[in-house]
Amino acid sequence: MSGVSRRDMFRVLLGRGREEVPQAPPAAPVASSGGDELALILDRFCLAWQGSFCSVCSERCPEPGAIVVEQGKPRVDPGKCTGCRVCHDVCPAPRNAVFLVARKARGGMIGKTVDETRPEEPDHE
Amino acid sequence: MSTLERRTFLKTSAMAAATAAVSQRAGGAAAAPASDGIHWDKAPCRFCGTGCHVKVGVRDGKVVAIAGHPDAEVNKGLLCVKGYHVGGILYGEDRLKHPMLRRNGVLERISWDEAIDIAARKIMEAPERFAIYGSGQWTIPEGYAAQKLIKGGLSNNHIEPNARLCMASAVTGFISTYGVDEPAGCYDDLDACDVLILWGNNMSEMHPVLFSRFYDRKSRGEKITLIDLGTRRTRTTEFADHYMEFRPQSDLAIANCIAQQLIERDAWDKEFVEKHCAFRADADLTKPDLMGVAIDFENYKQRVAEYTPEKVSEISGLPVEQLRLLGDLFADPKVKITSTWCMGMNQHTRATAINRLVHGIHLLSGKFGSPGNAPTSLTGQPSACGTAREVGTLCHALPGGRLVAKPEHREQCEKHWNLPAGRINATPGHHTVLMWEKFCTPTAEGGDIRTILVQVTNPGQSLPNLHKLFRAKKGLDDKFLIVSDVYPTATTELADLVLPAALWVEKNGVFGNSERRTQQWFKQVEPPGEAREDVWMTIAIARRLYDLGHPGMKDKDGNFIFRFTDDAGNEVPVWEYDRFHEINVDRALYDDYRPLTFLKHKHLAPYDVLKEHTGLRWPVVEQSDGSFRETRFRFSEFDDPFVKKGNGIEFYHSTTNDGRAQIWFCPYEAHPEEPDEEFPFWLCTGRVLEHWHTGTMTMRVPQLRGAVPNNYVEIHPDDAREAGIGNGDKVVLATRRGELELSAWINGRGRPPRGSLFVPFFDQIRQINLLTLDAHCPISKEPDYKKCAARIRKA
Repeated sequence: MSGVSRRDMFRVLLGRGREEVPQAPPAAPVASSGGDELALILDRFCLAWQGSFCSVCSERCPEPGAIVVEQGKPRVDPGKCTGCRVCHDVCPAPRNAVFLVARKARGGMIGKTVDETRPEEPDHE
Repeated sequence: MSTLERRTFLKTSAMAAATAAVSQRAGGAAAAPASDGIHWDKAPCRFCGTGCHVKVGVRDGKVVAIAGHPDAEVNKGLLCVKGYHVGGILYGEDRLKHPMLRRNGVLERISWDEAIDIAARKIMEAPERFAIYGSGQWTIPEGYAAQKLIKGGLSNNHIEPNARLCMASAVTGFISTYGVDEPAGCYDDLDACDVLILWGNNMSEMHPVLFSRFYDRKSRGEKITLIDLGTRRTRTTEFADHYMEFRPQSDLAIANCIAQQLIERDAWDKEFVEKHCAFRADADLTKPDLMGVAIDFENYKQRVAEYTPEKVSEISGLPVEQLRLLGDLFADPKVKITSTWCMGMNQHTRATAINRLVHGIHLLSGKFGSPGNAPTSLTGQPSACGTAREVGTLCHALPGGRLVAKPEHREQCEKHWNLPAGRINATPGHHTVLMWEKFCTPTAEGGDIRTILVQVTNPGQSLPNLHKLFRAKKGLDDKFLIVSDVYPTATTELADLVLPAALWVEKNGVFGNSERRTQQWFKQVEPPGEAREDVWMTIAIARRLYDLGHPGMKDKDGNFIFRFTDDAGNEVPVWEYDRFHEINVDRALYDDYRPLTFLKHKHLAPYDVLKEHTGLRWPVVEQSDGSFRETRFRFSEFDDPFVKKGNGIEFYHSTTNDGRAQIWFCPYEAHPEEPDEEFPFWLCTGRVLEHWHTGTMTMRVPQLRGAVPNNYVEIHPDDAREAGIGNGDKVVLATRRGELELSAWINGRGRPPRGSLFVPFFDQIRQINLLTLDAHCPISKEPDYKKCAARIRKA
């Protein structure tokens, strides 16, 4: 193979993939619990983060500014997210990349992901 | 879709694409099938012309998983959102499963025997008024069979692919420049170039995997420059180092401005041009043709001289500095430049001209023939190159780059097909727009097309100016429309006979992608109900015509023109469907076709070699050790075995028979329907990432339909404010051909400048092609879907 090898092409992606600890989706509630939840985009499953392209969650989000896209990659602004689940429902990734988590951290969910999206919140209650 | 429904779907549909894809990428290991009973095979993706290869996982007769093929050079394991869901296209609830005939306005189920008999009898009534309309989604064997049936059997040249609406202008650009179709470079140029110029090409939306391949170099710290030459801001613009927003149609002036600067600065590549190029222009601008006339350098220089950056800045709206930047890049001999384009340049009323000009600036600057230096057109369909262009399923073409107008080419095909001399008609048939116009015109008024067989495409939604070119068929009782498809479409709505077809891995196939790569796959699951292979339908109709006594269905020895034999040499009646799978008909047709590719040095790989690879780029030439080697860079001595040693670069199919390519001069000319007081906006149409073409397949995949459920009109916020239009408001969009109610999207995925609108064409309910223009390039006959005048108001 000439030019870019597969390894090269995905070096960035692979690096990220290896760092992240695989985690099972939380037991997603069926209906929105109205404000008690927060959307999280898992880069591991998100097409935009995985080197493909997608912008559906930010486009369909009814809350202006709640999903910010930079260099093609979406990120939830926890201060603006209302937990309405639209982004989860429209996410076309092969494994849904949007997870709804309780706004208040609870056991098992205080990993890196929550830290990243809620820098202003304490790790524990 | 509610959360619950969606979760249930994800659980039950079992399109567990991610499992394989993500684990592969995360772990790096090429997914060996786990002990989950999934059998894995390979296939090219069904959608665009990028030609990604996928791994297809089948369990219990159903495609249950998809993964990017890790060994595929094109995509290296990556897929786009459509690719990850490609298996889902097979399982929409409304698959067509039985042949149907329209009786008293209603489609009623009939048997296959009846269906084939009716089709054959309709053709038999007036064989010269029959036409076949296919696409760049025909597999190579399907296109080849259709081509042989109509041109070799019926002595009729009315066969067209929808590629006429798509790639025809790229073809005329390549042929009038190099004397032979298809790009000299390949995707490897994206790995080597310093600068990528996208000419009206929204690559991250339309060819996302290719764009990732290019852009990932930046993530690795390479210095690469992306120039987005466009008419609206797109997803791609966000990644561009330079966004150059030009007035629609002025790309002609911009290309000429680059040539003007190269000459004025004395920075053109004199050695390259003197050795390898000649100059050319249209003899008569009011009647441009494919070949034009030779001009000398002085004449060329004189004609481009007026395209100074200052003047072109006025025409195009680009600042002089941006035009000078383009001049600087092309003038720098050290900078490797790749240009890509797709529909922005091809769907253009001066499409052949802009194609020629972009080739011209690459030749004039010597940015050609080494890795990273290439003008490359991208295709929108998986086999626009392989089938439409190489098999030549166009009204003027014969297989392997031959033309119906050339006696020696007809003779070669007649000999190859063992037909009596003179069987192939010397007069080209109707091109697409004309074919449908004639079909929609009453017979008494000169509508000389009576029956059309449509395979693998949806003209009822994709033709321009649909009222005139498609819907006008309604009420013309002697016109008969036969449609083979997999789902009900805008085309089946007017069909008289509907034939249910097998789709993608429900049949064997061979596709050819944008970079000359031929890819093969085998059937992996059964089609639903009574759906059958298109290639079988073609052969069965031919056989019925044979039985009805059509003389053209026999070769000169009296044998049926589709005669296939088993290993023992016994004829297999493949037209009987229960005998069709006794041999690999795809392989037999491919083997028959392959020698026809040698004339223009487009040597395809043998079927057995192809099946071992995720595609090979032609010419694929046998080596002294019996192995086959693909060619990445055509016309370049270091890679192309057909270039004579010592020549460096050789255009061995030169139109002037001297090894030279042509640098064309073509002027900037205004568009035939520029915005005016009555219709003050430019209207542009196109695709979105999640949907492919008319959405008949992708709209059946819940994740893709859910992501973008309907089309919309993109409008600039200032234009919206002036018209009192808010985001999401219903608006009425109108052109001289019709009007349509849509929702407005302000600051959406694409951001048109003031005075410009954009609408995607995938939506079957809100068909934008009711409004588009059928004006076309005089040489390629390809219509301009990218520009017409429109107005908009709040509904």
